[in-house]
Amino acid sequence: MSDAVTGLAPIAGKSQNALPRDGARLRSGALVLLVQIVLLAALLTVWEWQTRLSPQSAFLFGSPSAIGRFLWQGLADGTLLRDAGVTALETGLGFLIGNLVGTLAGLSLWYSTFVSRVVQPFIVAIGSIPIIALAPIIIIWFGTGLASKVAMSTLSVVVVALVTSYKGALGVDPDQINLLRTLGARKPQIFAKLVVPSSLADIFAGLKLTVGFALIGAIVGEFMSSSVGLGHAIFQAGSLYAIPKVFAALVGTIALALVLTFLVGRAERMLMPWRDHL
Amino acid sequence: MSQGPLHPSPHPAPPLAVEHLAKAYRTGGRLLPVVGDLTFALARGEIVAIVGPSGCGKTTLLNAVCGLTPADSGRILWNGAPLDRRGRPPSGIGYMLQKDLLLPWRTALDNVKLGTELRGMPRGQADERARALLDQLGLHGFAGAYPATLSGGMRQRVALARTLINDPDVLLFDEPFAALDFQTKLLIEADTVRLVRDGAKSALLITHDIEEAVSIADRVLVLSGRPTAVKASYTIDLDCAPDDMIGARESAGFGDYVRQIWADLDIPRSTLGCAGRGISRAAARS
Ligand SMILES: Nc1ncnc2c1ncn2[C@@H]1O[C@H](COP(=O)(O)OP(=O)(O)OP(=O)(O)O)[C@@H](O)[C@H]1O
Ligand SMILES: [Mg+2]
Repeated sequence: MSDAVTGLAPIAGKSQNALPRDGARLRSGALVLLVQIVLLAALLTVWEWQTRLSPQSAFLFGSPSAIGRFLWQGLADGTLLRDAGVTALETGLGFLIGNLVGTLAGLSLWYSTFVSRVVQPFIVAIGSIPIIALAPIIIIWFGTGLASKVAMSTLSVVVVALVTSYKGALGVDPDQINLLRTLGARKPQIFAKLVVPSSLADIFAGLKLTVGFALIGAIVGEFMSSSVGLGHAIFQAGSLYAIPKVFAALVGTIALALVLTFLVGRAERMLMPWRDHL
Repeated sequence: MSQGPLHPSPHPAPPLAVEHLAKAYRTGGRLLPVVGDLTFALARGEIVAIVGPSGCGKTTLLNAVCGLTPADSGRILWNGAPLDRRGRPPSGIGYMLQKDLLLPWRTALDNVKLGTELRGMPRGQADERARALLDQLGLHGFAGAYPATLSGGMRQRVALARTLINDPDVLLFDEPFAALDFQTKLLIEADTVRLVRDGAKSALLITHDIEEAVSIADRVLVLSGRPTAVKASYTIDLDCAPDDMIGARESAGFGDYVRQIWADLDIPRSTLGCAGRGISRAAARS
């Protein structure tokens, strides 16, 4: 209470002011969610209704109820969970390795203009290779097990991570660098105290982008050769014309992508708490 | 400390001396001479303001003086010693720009402490000093606030505290108050002058605001257009307390200084007016 007379008053005032605004945000958030649910329900209803009208479209498109049955069955007998678990492992490892290597490489390119100019064309060249074109070689090098999927996933991620983090490092305000130099900073200190934290926003943009790429890499790897995984399930069901089963595995894939994106968002809020104030 | 002359000298070297400094930029294959032949010195405890037409090379001068941009020729002496060859800024300077350059991921306190971390000062001592500075600048209670939650004036005060944390002998200011409203500006100016005078520091203040220059400085240097050189120098003698910004404006002589410097700046009053000589020469060349 005594804070009210000192300079703390504006801060206390701020958190109180924040309450109604948060309430408004919560309400509009609930509205958005409601509209989303209504839209999804409408889509599923039309879909179900169409497939009930004609058996041909039921065969081609599967029906939401059939997809639901397969989902339930897959969850009950554990096959869907096992497939999702394997794909999650491949995707997660590829995502982590690819982003770690790519981000470290991208940030360290800031250190030397010379090196970055030397490697630039190589990065562009590697970045322009469609990953699927590498699949046969990767299977020869890494076998048909987990390693080849992780490699595919890593390769899908690494160049994007490199480019986004390098772009972040280059975006540092030169005046900011000058300021640190006048305060006595050496290059490693400028890197640690300025370049890395101010690249975080770009790095996280890259992380969100590469969730999808890592998943694509893993699933393409499973398409090529596998005995388990969501890609395997999709491929197998597709070749048997079991469309609802394909969709069930797709739902699993989407769920996986959402979980990973959510985790990245949590990490972002944890590592960049000041963002809440922007 | 390493920069003091080792030999005893009858006249101690001034904190900063600039002799025949010249600097040109190469842009698109052309050479643009920005600083012509510039010579001045900053005495101990002195505040020198530099005014000059826009784009004449004031920021370039400041950055060359502290080694951030290499000069083409001339000498820059800090306490009598030249800049080191690797272009590292000399120790014991504070540098502050119009942009506050606060790091958004650091709280006000941690922003102020930046310089102490780079110097390896023990955390407790750094904390104490940073808090003391924030208190002196009227920011008590805002140590934990992120820059995004502070007003422009408060942010610039945090930047001032950050500039002063390593207790620099010489302060280099590049239009630090230009973005502030008049009231805030007067208050921060007074605080700055007080801290500079109390700490027996010297300061070089680049500004576009002639009244600011006259009210703060002991001496005002007027620069010519590109390539810039010192065109006129005024020793300011006003009959008021040094940190009394309003008193300065009310003292006899204030208006005369301002009018004189305004005339020296040679700013065209209309399309018929004469452009600054240096600028028209540069324009004719391009
Ligand atoms: N890095 C650079 N490369 C090329 N030209 C530059 C560079 N920096 C500045 N200049 C040019 O040098 C001239 C002087 O610039 P400077 O920023 O020093 O002027 P200034 O006096 O500080 O201007 P202002 O009063 O507007 O701040 C300008 O014409 C500018 O275009
Ligand atoms: Mg400038």
